[in-house]
Amino acid sequence: MLRRTASRPIRPRRGSRHRLAGSVAVLALVAAATACSPVESSGDQTGGDSGDQAGATQDVFGDKADPAQVKPGGTLTVALSADPDKLDPSLSRSLYSRYVFHTMCEKLYDLGPDAKVVPQLATALPTISADGLSLTIPLREGVKFADGGTFDSAAVKGSIERGLTIAGSGRKSELGPISSVETPDPKTVVIKLTKPFAPLTAALADRAGMVLSPAAVSKLGADFSTGPVCVGPFKFASRVAQNSIKVVKDPLYYDAAKVQLDAIEYRIITDSSIRSANLRSGDAQIADSLSTQDAPELQKDGSLSVLQSQSLGYQGLTINIGNATGIGNPVKQLDTPIAKDPRVRQALEASIDREALVKSIFNGLNTVACSPISPKSEFTSDAAQTCPGHDPAKAKELLGQAGVSTPYKVSMITSNNPDSLRLAQALQAMVKEGGFDLVIKPVEYASLLDQQDRGDFELLQLGWSGRVDPDANIFNFVGSKGSQNVAGYNNPEVDQLLTDARQSKDQAERIELYGQVVGKLQQDDPLIYLYRQRNLTGVSKKVLGVQTYPDGVIRTAFAGFAK
Amino acid sequence: MRRYLLGRLWQSLVTLLLATIVVFLGVRALPGDPALALAGEDRDPESLRAIREQYGLDDSLLVQFWQFVSHAVRGDLGDSIRTGESVVGMLKSALPVTLELSALAILIASLIGVGAGVVAAVRRGRPAEWAANGLALLGLSVPNFWLGLMAILYLSVATGLFPASGFVPFFEDPVRNLHHLVLPAVILGTGLAAVIMRQTRSSMLDALSADYIRTAEAKGLPPRAVIGRHALRNSLIVVVTIVGLQLGALISGAVVTERIFALPGFGKLTVDAVFQRDYPVIQAVVLVTATAYIVINLLVDLLYSVIDPRIRVRGEV
Repeated sequence: MLRRTASRPIRPRRGSRHRLAGSVAVLALVAAATACSPVESSGDQTGGDSGDQAGATQDVFGDKADPAQVKPGGTLTVALSADPDKLDPSLSRSLYSRYVFHTMCEKLYDLGPDAKVVPQLATALPTISADGLSLTIPLREGVKFADGGTFDSAAVKGSIERGLTIAGSGRKSELGPISSVETPDPKTVVIKLTKPFAPLTAALADRAGMVLSPAAVSKLGADFSTGPVCVGPFKFASRVAQNSIKVVKDPLYYDAAKVQLDAIEYRIITDSSIRSANLRSGDAQIADSLSTQDAPELQKDGSLSVLQSQSLGYQGLTINIGNATGIGNPVKQLDTPIAKDPRVRQALEASIDREALVKSIFNGLNTVACSPISPKSEFTSDAAQTCPGHDPAKAKELLGQAGVSTPYKVSMITSNNPDSLRLAQALQAMVKEGGFDLVIKPVEYASLLDQQDRGDFELLQLGWSGRVDPDANIFNFVGSKGSQNVAGYNNPEVDQLLTDARQSKDQAERIELYGQVVGKLQQDDPLIYLYRQRNLTGVSKKVLGVQTYPDGVIRTAFAGFAK
Repeated sequence: MRRYLLGRLWQSLVTLLLATIVVFLGVRALPGDPALALAGEDRDPESLRAIREQYGLDDSLLVQFWQFVSHAVRGDLGDSIRTGESVVGMLKSALPVTLELSALAILIASLIGVGAGVVAAVRRGRPAEWAANGLALLGLSVPNFWLGLMAILYLSVATGLFPASGFVPFFEDPVRNLHHLVLPAVILGTGLAAVIMRQTRSSMLDALSADYIRTAEAKGLPPRAVIGRHALRNSLIVVVTIVGLQLGALISGAVVTERIFALPGFGKLTVDAVFQRDYPVIQAVVLVTATAYIVINLLVDLLYSVIDPRIRVRGEV
């Protein structure tokens, strides 16, 4: 096993060979350590057997804690890279709130490490009627909210309806075309739809599926975030704005016997090197979103382990094709070669060497992406993973065919954080060979969002953190009615394929349709997918039972300190 | 004196109003509104509209400004757009942290700065002066963030002497509170210590060459009394002014230091609010900072008159 890990087909760039070799050795040690423990080992999936592209390292999700090795009690400190926004499942919009929610707000469904949906507060996957318009969900019984209230179908109905109606809801579009929620008895919920909507079950495995205490909702209303109450292993204790959030063990939780920790404190530390330093000094036991620069160093530290999972999202380049007057307004073809002629966009794609990018910029920790569908997704297929490949000669040829004189100057806006800038500079050097002169315009994040929505860009580098159902990773971005179609892309064929996929109940058919979508997207190139981020989480070996899943959420609820 | 005070107060109020207007408009001139920053990845036109409506962001600037000022006068600074928490509550928890950190930094900086300054002046041209000057140069030229990183690396990660992050309120556990604050306070105080040292040194040199010192020496006073009671006391006037003027630098220094050590203070609150375009928080923060500046300036003026009675007398004329 050790040898298999060490002989993975990694081709390090010159100069970083010894560093990579070191991290491989540490990974091997980690693998060996997990293999020795008596618990199920999900971390050791070594060998080049997955569908990952070259340069990828393996996922290490972490293991469940063995109760015999864990002592009860203690406060776990988690260094979080960003401040969660509102702690209200209906209003929350940041990924980071999900880290906190997972310890205090359980959902109807959850994700397993394999990115498949599994029941949580529901007892089984929904039964879908033949016409696809009705979902019946059986619920757990004997469950209490943290305030002592009883969990039942009425609470589920209330939470879903709140997600659909509350002002500023972040859940409305995720929940899709729901016409009503019915409660035939306390342990059954029936969701009625006006149109079939396949992504709904996956949405119920995220914030849309969290169930709020009706008593707390009626007491706090829109201020629910100041004292959130749900069903969960932990309950909300306190929050210091932009600094920390504390949750404490909930004795009323139905599985309280399995909860080891007394409390979890989330400490917001935005700088990744300082997060790493806190991990190494022992001030925090967990740190999320490690930089690919820091991770190899941390992997060498014998007291730490680094969990990694490939995200379901992507980072890419969006090209402004028809977003002339801002998103939400009718598209209007822009009058530049790159907006008008797909060949110019194909040339740009052909001039990018994705493998070199992930190896040189991200220490080979991120993986190449050529489509919005992750190879980890249930919806992946050969068609969805085809990759146009790096071919600068072809790029020049395409530019010639399009009648564009080289070097073709194009400007790109990008976030001004160090990682994005390094990426931009690498891209700039790469596309030069293909005949492009890339001008980098770094802007701060809120301004970037503003410029992208107003259509004030030629090229834009940004990513998407990813959702389980592919619809949520594609429709909004390239569908002509998509709420985030900042490219101003409009292709009726793609729209039709996406709508069919959205309304299909047959997974095989959806896989086939998404494969076709990827083919069309690679022809038109409104969005050039570059790479998939790896979620890197540093964990102290003093803590057992920390797991990270492809949705990016770090599971800490059932962790504990080692004896 | 009374007229002088009233005049100063009136001036202060006008300054405050101007500062409020400038910030109110300035924040809104930034690209990217709170709705965008809040919605982040999950934004769609409908929810953006809803957020803007909810927080009155689609009202005219005049209406928004009136809302802000009229509420602020009644002590209501609104709710954070990002977290929904009351801004007053956020300030209440953040201010004591920064005040304690700054007070500690000033204390440390004054002790080091005045001490080293006196030594440098009295031991002029000797190794002690070289050492003090060298330290001051380092203190001035090394940026806080680098010093903070090094401190975390060597004093937290490598040796475990000090915690790298976190905060415990003073009244909960004074020992742990100081343990958390000492390192950031020293780092925050370095620049100030250097300024104080150089100022003390040069004022002391001036004073030591003054006639009254020669007189004091001629009277046969012991050197300690000459330096301490006569030279230092007179030098301190300038030093107090400098400390007052440096408070601004201290506040901006606190921004960096608080972020590095993850302290739940005012500086961290400010920067994060700006990045998130959390208008109510930014406005409140500026209002409080401006008020603090004005009050500090007043206090420095008053302190002058305590240290140097001539100013008090002149003020009354």
